[in-house]
Amino acid sequence: MSWPLDLEGAGGLAIGLLAGVAFGFILERGGLGDPKKLTGLFYLEDFTMLKVMFAAIAVAAAGIGALSLLGVLDLSRIAVQPTYLWPQAVGGLILGVGFALGGY
Amino acid sequence: MRPYWSPYLAGVALGLTLLATYLLMGFGLGASGAFAQVAARLEGAVAPGRAHANPYLVGYLDAGRLWAQWIVVEMVGVIVGAVLGAWTAGRFAWRLEKGPRIGAGRRLLFAFIGGATVGFASRVAQGCTSGVALSGGAVLAPGAWAFLATFMAGGFVTAWIVRRAWR
Repeated sequence: MSWPLDLEGAGGLAIGLLAGVAFGFILERGGLGDPKKLTGLFYLEDFTMLKVMFAAIAVAAAGIGALSLLGVLDLSRIAVQPTYLWPQAVGGLILGVGFALGGY
Repeated sequence: MRPYWSPYLAGVALGLTLLATYLLMGFGLGASGAFAQVAARLEGAVAPGRAHANPYLVGYLDAGRLWAQWIVVEMVGVIVGAVLGAWTAGRFAWRLEKGPRIGAGRRLLFAFIGGATVGFASRVAQGCTSGVALSGGAVLAPGAWAFLATFMAGGFVTAWIVRRAWR
């Protein structure tokens, strides 16, 4: 079997639903449904968002790297977000402004 | 009410979910794309001529049925999962989360302006904290790290200005 499976059609959508349920459940249980905890980062009072996010990035990145080194996962078929430096830097800045205003 | 999980436990669980998504689908998790999918179709329904003349929106309109879009189905799952998480933890309730020094009306106004700003920004950056920062971060996309850095900067400055809203 070659990974990623690139599931299509109903199978892919079923995985999408399951992944979404897990995503929403974990974020809520981790405290990221609470805007006071989320904005707490910007007052250096609550680092939950940073801890969850960076632990998740570290685990997924290490997993992808390890599975690729073992020859299980074909890295060339993994979608990497294209980098548009200025749009992403400016977009990030504006998104941070909106996030602190709205709380999410 | 059950306490929140340790953030590290939540992070590991989220990382494994993200890893599974990459393994099964070849791409990661997202959020704002679902709103763009819905918004494009809304404009397509209200002002079809205008929507079809817009090359950005046409990409969404030509993608096919709304419910066949992976990110839309995923986002429905996110809502279901979040409600399930809150409900099974005894946290599900109608309330407005806000700091003690801001009124409900102003908090909702800030939420509206903040939401519109985040929506706009997510189109500028081709994604939000989920699609760009989290999923992009996990595959070490340079743009994801630039996004994260400026996201923090924008958040820090704005949070200080609106500190009465949260603290």
